[in-house]
Amino acid sequence: METGELYRYSDMVNELLARYGVKFGIYKNNTFKEQLFPFDMIPRVIGKEEFAYLERGLKQRVAALNEFIKDIYSEKKIIRDGVVPEEFVYAGSGYLAQCEGVLPPKGVYSHISGIDLVQGKDGTWYILEDNLRIPSGASYPMIARDLCRKSSPATFEKNHIEDNRNYAQLLRQTFDYVNTGGHTVILTPGRYNAAYFEHSYLAEQTGAHLATGSELIVEDEHLYFIDYSGKKEKVGAVYRRISDEYLDPMNFRPESVIGIPHIYDIYRKGNVALLNAPGNGVADDKGIYYFVPKMIKYYLGEDAILNNAPTYLPYYEEDMNYVLEHFDTLVLKDVAEAGGYGVVFGSKMTKEEKEKFLALLKAEPRRFIAQEVIDFLDIDIYESEQRVPRKADLRAFVLMADEPVVWKSGLTRFSRNPDSFIVNSSQGGGFKDTWVLSE
Amino acid sequence: MAILSVEHSDQLFWLGRYSERVYTTIRIFSKRFDSMIDLKPEEYEEYCRQQDIPNIYTSRDDFSNRYCFDENDPNSIYSNLMRAYDNAIVLREEIGSETLAYIQLAVYAMNKAAVSDAPLIQLQRVMDNIVAFWGIVDDSIDDEKVRSIIKFGKRVERIDIYARIQMDTAEIEREMRRLNLRIPRTGLCYDKVKLAHLNYLAQVSPLDYKTIVKEIEGLLLQDALPMASGM
Repeated sequence: METGELYRYSDMVNELLARYGVKFGIYKNNTFKEQLFPFDMIPRVIGKEEFAYLERGLKQRVAALNEFIKDIYSEKKIIRDGVVPEEFVYAGSGYLAQCEGVLPPKGVYSHISGIDLVQGKDGTWYILEDNLRIPSGASYPMIARDLCRKSSPATFEKNHIEDNRNYAQLLRQTFDYVNTGGHTVILTPGRYNAAYFEHSYLAEQTGAHLATGSELIVEDEHLYFIDYSGKKEKVGAVYRRISDEYLDPMNFRPESVIGIPHIYDIYRKGNVALLNAPGNGVADDKGIYYFVPKMIKYYLGEDAILNNAPTYLPYYEEDMNYVLEHFDTLVLKDVAEAGGYGVVFGSKMTKEEKEKFLALLKAEPRRFIAQEVIDFLDIDIYESEQRVPRKADLRAFVLMADEPVVWKSGLTRFSRNPDSFIVNSSQGGGFKDTWVLSE
Repeated sequence: MAILSVEHSDQLFWLGRYSERVYTTIRIFSKRFDSMIDLKPEEYEEYCRQQDIPNIYTSRDDFSNRYCFDENDPNSIYSNLMRAYDNAIVLREEIGSETLAYIQLAVYAMNKAAVSDAPLIQLQRVMDNIVAFWGIVDDSIDDEKVRSIIKFGKRVERIDIYARIQMDTAEIEREMRRLNLRIPRTGLCYDKVKLAHLNYLAQVSPLDYKTIVKEIEGLLLQDALPMASGM
């Protein structure tokens, strides 16, 4: 692959990303700061056939997860049939009793799914995590691609790379598919949200209106955007980038000031679409992750195409024994945490830390999962004008309109710390473009 | 045509005001500072009085440094630029990434100037980016309301500043003419009596600057724009 010329303009591309405000917000010591999201020019490259395999596996997984959410909030067959224990459904923070019996427009729950994968050194792909609530990150490779094409047209002329700048179009199709009639808005908590750049950029690119809760009102069983002359414009779809509990103070957390009173009531009546559907957290809990291959078998009658990372649930006695015996070789994750937090490596704990952790694990086994540490395939980054290997994951995006579509790209995040597996932007990671070859 | 909320129309207006405040303040400051160099070092005191800002400065050098770059001084040029940025950053959908980029570049230029060996001359780059911002507002924003609200904010701010520094009649009259052309295109609610009064005041000699400041500040009806983003 001819890419030499591409790397020459790395500084210029990063300068332009700064110019366009490609940042994320972070709170440190109770102070909000905006940070640039470092971009590394060396792309992750996925071959056409390899991506086709991922595509099949991702579509299958998202289809099963959608079925699971639908089942949990209706018939609960999977619990009755003993495939998923009810404790894992109802004890998780993602389950919302308010969603019982509510069918979203067109029966779609996870309109935009962000599935995190890693590739082992033997080339095997593993699913690390499903994000079905408000996965973010697609905007970064989209804007980076635009700049890379300008900085090195020859690279894109010589190599056959799928154009990833259609993400906004795919997203728009997803909005339109479930829209119940009216405008589409992107609901943001505001500019101090970590992903505000993405909210505003996607609004610009999709032609949706960016709004905060205070600009929308529920009246006569419908949602309206009020313009500055006082005119009410009906809204038919809300791509909400605020979490379930803050969405509607009348139905969820009453202290929320960023939500829209009664929006959930009209959603329940089918008068507005919410993307993604409230209550999806029941399916992307780290504890539920363990059961996804079983869900695929249960709902689709198929074996899972993509592997989970080998995972143990200390909730089961057999798994607890395994975890205790192999503690030093495992990574343990608190199911309630996200963003790379609540992740500990057995091998890196001191004796005292280990004792304390084991006591907690035995007291609250449902709270943790344990996984084999996958030795990810390293990907090179440029650092001080040298290529150095770093751990990287891939967030793939699956969009659901009349049929699921896997975006032919993804967000590759890497750790800047040579000793770390944690790639999250909130913990100092950077990002890369993901090239999917078309030939 | 985009639908525009009250909140965003407010932010467009204040984006216009703060971008103008930064631009005109740098321009006036640069001119006045020139005479502070070797003719009248204490002139900054008069400058503060005219601008109606508290004189918290201990010397000319303290003034030039803090008035330009102090993020903790609410009257500094830096603080006003950050207010322009705070309004711009929430308007990407209305003004577009290309337009927003020039405010972002002005912020970078300001940060660079603050740590430069020759900070005052570096402020030129901040002005250049503000001028480019206005240019691209005209060139790339299709929605006339959006363009007009930004420009209306700009005119209001310019008349306010010009009146405070007691600019001559011709300049105030010129800005009033431009304001009159712009205001009907905004779709905003404004006080027609106050506008008529301002037009009258702009033609009376000698100019009643104090009343002009008072009237221009009250031109926009409060119900039309909540003042959440301004000061």
